[in-house]
Amino acid sequence: MTWIGFDHPWVLLLLPLALLPLAGSPLRASATPSEALAPRDPLSSAISATLKTLGVLAIAFIVLGLAGAHRRDQQVERRGVGANIVLLIDRSSSMDSTFANRSPTGAEESKSAAARRLLTDFATRRPADRVAVAAFSTAPMLVSPMTDRHDAVRAAIAAIDRPGLAHTDVGRGLSLAFSLFDDESTETSRAIVMVSDGAAVIDRRVQDALRDASRRNPVRLYWLFLRTQGARGIYDKPPPGEPDSPQTYPERHLDIFLKSLGLPYRAFEANSAQEVSAAIKEIDQLEQRPTTYVETIPRQDLDWVFYAFASVALLLLLGAKLTERRLDETPVPLRRDGALQPRRAAS
Amino acid sequence: MKRPDLRTLALGGALALAVVAALQPEAQAERPTYDVIAYVDITGSMSARDYVTADGKPQSRLEAVKQRLAAAAGRLPCGSRFGLGVFTERRIFLLFEPMETCRNYVAISGAIKGLDWRMGWEGDSRISAGLFRAIDATRPTGADVVFLTDGQEAPPLRTDMEQTYDGEQARGLIVGVGGTDLVPIPKFNDFGREIGFYSMEDVPQASRLGGPPKGAENLPGYNARNAPFGEMPAGEEHLTSVKEPYLRQLGQMTGLGYARLGTGDELAAAIEANARPHPHAVPIDLSPAPAAAALLALAALYGTSLVARPRRRRPLNAQGVSS
Repeated sequence: MTWIGFDHPWVLLLLPLALLPLAGSPLRASATPSEALAPRDPLSSAISATLKTLGVLAIAFIVLGLAGAHRRDQQVERRGVGANIVLLIDRSSSMDSTFANRSPTGAEESKSAAARRLLTDFATRRPADRVAVAAFSTAPMLVSPMTDRHDAVRAAIAAIDRPGLAHTDVGRGLSLAFSLFDDESTETSRAIVMVSDGAAVIDRRVQDALRDASRRNPVRLYWLFLRTQGARGIYDKPPPGEPDSPQTYPERHLDIFLKSLGLPYRAFEANSAQEVSAAIKEIDQLEQRPTTYVETIPRQDLDWVFYAFASVALLLLLGAKLTERRLDETPVPLRRDGALQPRRAAS
Repeated sequence: MKRPDLRTLALGGALALAVVAALQPEAQAERPTYDVIAYVDITGSMSARDYVTADGKPQSRLEAVKQRLAAAAGRLPCGSRFGLGVFTERRIFLLFEPMETCRNYVAISGAIKGLDWRMGWEGDSRISAGLFRAIDATRPTGADVVFLTDGQEAPPLRTDMEQTYDGEQARGLIVGVGGTDLVPIPKFNDFGREIGFYSMEDVPQASRLGGPPKGAENLPGYNARNAPFGEMPAGEEHLTSVKEPYLRQLGQMTGLGYARLGTGDELAAAIEANARPHPHAVPIDLSPAPAAAALLALAALYGTSLVARPRRRRPLNAQGVSS
C-alpha cells in the first residue's frame, strides 16, 4: 500500500465510525422486536447483512475521501536514448564579449548568450538526458547536481550569460565535473561537455588528479572551444624557433593533455554561433545511448473515487429505506392463528 | 405516501452531499507566492564555527546556512521561485535563475548543499558592495533579494566615511548569520586543509583604503611616506560575530528587512514577511465540506438509532401490535 497516501492521516481516526451500522440501522425500529414473529429467512438475513455492509462502506469511503486519499506520485523507470551529461561552462568575463571580441550589441550576441541559447535548445531536444551543470572561472562551482528535471537545467543554463569572473581554471573545473556522476548514471552513457572560450595551464597536481579520475571514471569528453577572432586556436602551432609551452599556447596544450587522458575525446572549434550550433548538433547525434531515466507521474487525487463509491452505497441504502413499509400504513392481514404473515421485509 | 421521516431525509441528504463531493466542486483562490534569489556569503568568516548540529557537534556558519536555507526553500508555498548565488570579495555570482521550488526541490537543495567556501575567488569581504551588486543583478529578474551574511567586513570599513547607497530601494531580506560572541576564524592552506586560526597580525585591523584621514599626522607611528595612516592598531578583526547593527543599517539604506538566521521554518516565514507576494491562482478543492456534512448526517442517523427507543404509537388493534 505504499502507492496510496493521505494528506490528513489523522482523519483516519474517524474510521471506527464505520462500525456504527453494525449496531444501528436507518430503518425503523420495532417496539415489539421478536424474531419469533417471523420465520428464519435466508434472503432476509442476506439483505440485512447487505444493508449493514453498505452502511459500513458508505461511512468508511467518506472518511477515506476526507483524509485526502491520493495515489502518490510514482517514479517510473523508462528506457530512453540519451546520456548522463555534465555541462561544464566557462563563466569567465571574456565569455561576455562577442566572437569578434567586442561588447555585445543588438545585432551581435555575446559568446555566453549564444551558448545559453544553443544549450537550452540542446537540453530541450533531449528529454531522456540527465544533466548536471557546473561552472568554472576563478574557482569551480557546482550549479545544479545531476537531475532529470529539465526546468532546473534550463534555470542553470539561463544564468550563464550573467557577468562572470576573471580567470579560467579549467583543471579544477574538469575535476569537479568528473565528481558529478552519481551511481544512478549508467557507466556507458557518461559524457562531459565543456564549453569555454579559452584555456589555462593546468597545475601538475590537478593533472594527476584528472588522470586518476579519468581512469576510475571513464567518460566521453567534448570540448566546445568558442574561438574569439584573433585568439589562438586549438590547432595553432608555434612557428619554428618559438617556445611551445602551455603558457604561450594554452589551448593547444590543453588539447594535448585531454588527448593524453585516453578517453574518447573530441574538440570542436567554433568561430561563430552557427558553428557552435553545428557542433552541438553533432554532440547530440553522438550521445545517443540507451539510458534509464526516471519519469515522475504526478500524484492523483482519489478522494472523488471514494465519494463516488460512497454515493453508490448510499443510493442502495436509500432505495432500501424507501421500500420500507410501516406496519400501520399497510395493514398486514392476520392469519387465522393470529400470527403475522411472513413478509419479505427489508429489515 | 406519508411525509418522509427524519431518517429518510438524513439518508437522502447524505447521498446528495456525497454526490456533490464526488463531483469535486472547486473554487479559485489566490495564494501568495514569492520570487527570491538567495545570495550566500562564502567568505572566510563564514567558516567560523558558532553553530551546533542537532547531535551537539560544532557547525560552521556556512553549513548552518546550507541546512536551513534548503529547509526554508522547501517550506515556501508551491509556485514560488528560488534562485541561488554566492558572494565573496565585492562581487556576486549567480548560479541559477529562479526556478519553481516544489517541482525542482531536489535540484535546488542539491545546489545549496554543493555550496562551498572553496568556490570563493578572493579573500576580501566587502559586504555592502556585494549587497548593492546583488540588488542590481536581481532587479531585472523581478525577484527579491535574500542576502545571507555575517556582516564581517574585511578589510574593516573606514570609520570616518559614511556608507552611502544611491540605487533604487529594493525589497527582500538580509539574514544575519553567526553568534553574538566573538569566535576565531579558521585558516586554510593552499590545499584547503585547516591549519589553525587567524591571529591579530594576519588581518588588517583598520582600513587602509583611500587617502589618510585628517589629523593622521598625530597618530602613533605616523610616517608621511611609509605609514600615512599611522601604525596598525590592535583590534579584534581576526575574530568574528554577527554584526547586527551594521546589517540593520544596510537594510534601512536599501529597503531590505533584517532577520537573524533561525530554523528553516523561521527563515521561510521571514522571507514571506519581507519579499513581495505574487498572487498565484490555485484551485481549492471544496469537496471536504459536503463530504464532512454527509459523514455527520450518517453518524447522526446511525448514532441516534442506537440511543433512541422506538416510540410507542397508538395501539394498532386489539392484539396490541403497534408500529
